[in-house]
Amino acid sequence: MGLVKADGKPAATSKPSPRKYTRDLTGLLAELNDQQPKARRWAARDLVAYGEEAVGALCERLRTEPEPSVREALFDALLAIGGDAVVEGLIPLLRGEDAGLRNGAVEVLGQLPEAVGPRMEVLLADPNPDVRLFGLDILRDLPHPEAPRWLMGVLEQDPHVNVVTVALDRLAEVGTPEMTPAVRAVKDRFPDEPFVAFAVDTALDRILGGE
Amino acid sequence: MRRALIVDDAVTVRLYHRKILEEAGFQVEEAENGVEALEKALVTPYDLLLVDVNMPKMDGYTLLREVRSTPELEGVPAIMISTESEKHDREHAYRVGANLYLVKPVRPEAFRLLAALMARNGESR
Amino acid sequence: MARAAATQPRCGELHITDAEFDRFRDFFYRKTGIRFEDSKRYFVDKRLIQRIEGTGHRGFRDYFAFMRFQASGEEFQELVNLMTVNETYFFREEYQLRCMVSDLLGEVLHYKRAGETVRIWSMPCSTGEEPYSIALYLLEYWDLIDRVDVEIVASDIDTRALERAKQGLFSKRSVSHLPRWILGKYFEPAPGGYHRLCDDLRASVNFRRINLCDLNETKGMRNFDLIFCRNLLIYFDEASQRLAVQTLYDALNPGGFVLLGHSESMSRITSVFKVRRFRDAVVYQRSA
Ligand SMILES: C[S@@+](CC[C@H](N)C(=O)[O-])C[C@H]1O[C@@H](n2cnc3c(N)ncnc32)[C@H](O)[C@@H]1O
Repeated sequence: MGLVKADGKPAATSKPSPRKYTRDLTGLLAELNDQQPKARRWAARDLVAYGEEAVGALCERLRTEPEPSVREALFDALLAIGGDAVVEGLIPLLRGEDAGLRNGAVEVLGQLPEAVGPRMEVLLADPNPDVRLFGLDILRDLPHPEAPRWLMGVLEQDPHVNVVTVALDRLAEVGTPEMTPAVRAVKDRFPDEPFVAFAVDTALDRILGGE
Repeated sequence: MRRALIVDDAVTVRLYHRKILEEAGFQVEEAENGVEALEKALVTPYDLLLVDVNMPKMDGYTLLREVRSTPELEGVPAIMISTESEKHDREHAYRVGANLYLVKPVRPEAFRLLAALMARNGESR
Repeated sequence: MARAAATQPRCGELHITDAEFDRFRDFFYRKTGIRFEDSKRYFVDKRLIQRIEGTGHRGFRDYFAFMRFQASGEEFQELVNLMTVNETYFFREEYQLRCMVSDLLGEVLHYKRAGETVRIWSMPCSTGEEPYSIALYLLEYWDLIDRVDVEIVASDIDTRALERAKQGLFSKRSVSHLPRWILGKYFEPAPGGYHRLCDDLRASVNFRRINLCDLNETKGMRNFDLIFCRNLLIYFDEASQRLAVQTLYDALNPGGFVLLGHSESMSRITSVFKVRRFRDAVVYQRSA
């Protein structure tokens, strides 16, 4: 008893589970719908090797997957694959009922600047304000040179108070001094809204560095 | 002093709600998402949670479901504050255990009053 | 470490305003979960100024925009390194070791079969202080150690660190948090003010070089009951963090626990783990 060492051998003690499926695309796609969450997690991780070919199945599985740990593996796999097909597959989730899926999609999309960039203007012009808000969430960390310009567009044109104040929130972090006239002007668009006045003042303070 | 936890990923919103709640006499702490809220709430007994819906890592509905199924936390009053005004969001919020559902942006006077009404009396612990 | 050579903020040259401090602080908090109190102002300002100068920027505003939009995230990581303590020593964050013996192991034994070995992974172990602290704590503060087998595996990506860990020679600074009697019982003095750990203890830990971000290297790491993953994830970018926590999850037995460093939190990385609070610490659990 006491401290022991699994001498010599590698420390791992687990035996690989008997392989029910082949490790090719067909086998992995079947395993993605296995009864065992563990099997589905591994299928998701291994499917990364098949790139775009696997995207459709991974997105499809997301819609019905009940296990949070498998969901994360699916999102991680999609992030690792990246590219247009992933973005096309994830954007529809933004309109879904499931907040966890929406926010998971936002996080992955926010890390795919090249594929998301060309679709940003369409998202930010969506008739549904909730979708525009997700657009701003995606923008939050998107390392894309156009990001400030998109934010300014929302600031100057979006009719919805919550969308505009979220744009102000983002500008408090990334805004630059030449944006201050546009930031100030927002107050006039929503004169009766105390939160807008507060968000404008906060953004101005941060952008100008309190000088 | 009564303690409130603001859970929201937008710093401007946290600052605004903080100001209003401090005026109402609350001591305020902040969390950026649902996981951080759980980490904090398990350590500090709050008298009120203010919960946003869409947040990274863990959304507000999932957070409330976790809170209501955790014995140490199940009784803490929670106000969900959403940007979404559709009927199904409201129903969803109450189903997962919100005590009140408000739509952003909140009106300071009403918010102050409702927060004071909903919060546990800090003394009762 | 580079930090020791930090230049003093030169008077009148660069200065961080309150609003700039807030802007930086909120950004850093959003990304890392670490929140600087006002009392840390001097500490933070000094390091920011060091980086503003080091990268040749004119002031906070230019520097912040550069760092914030840099696609590689290198400069952000540079800041993380500067703002956190990158060293290791015996009984670091002792409250977690206390939590291990007073609560976690009890829960672990609950789900294990009688006679089964408890498995602990120290990842990253650096020069060995962490896994040896775990071993010392088990021997000295856990009553059941005479009746249960415990296996400690310790890994790091750095082979030089692992070599030093196996040698078991530690500086005065590294053992300064150890109670004197433990030092007397398990160490002997070595030349140059060093302390040598006794052979029995050195032999009790299984060291293996592993890169936590390499799926091929971690695939065999399974069936652990406790994983100490302290002061590593904070230095990873987002993609590596995601990969790493999935690996930790798979390496754990259902019901097993992960412990992170005291300024680290899963809240910026994942929600797969259940947050558990014990008397001494908040830890993360893989659901049964
Ligand atoms: C600050 S030390 C932490 C040591 C100890 N866990 C503690 O908290 O005191 C960080 C260690 O992480 C190791 N490391 C960095 N990247 C790694 C990786 N990808 N896989 C494994 N170890 C890594 C470094 O070699 C270093 O020894």
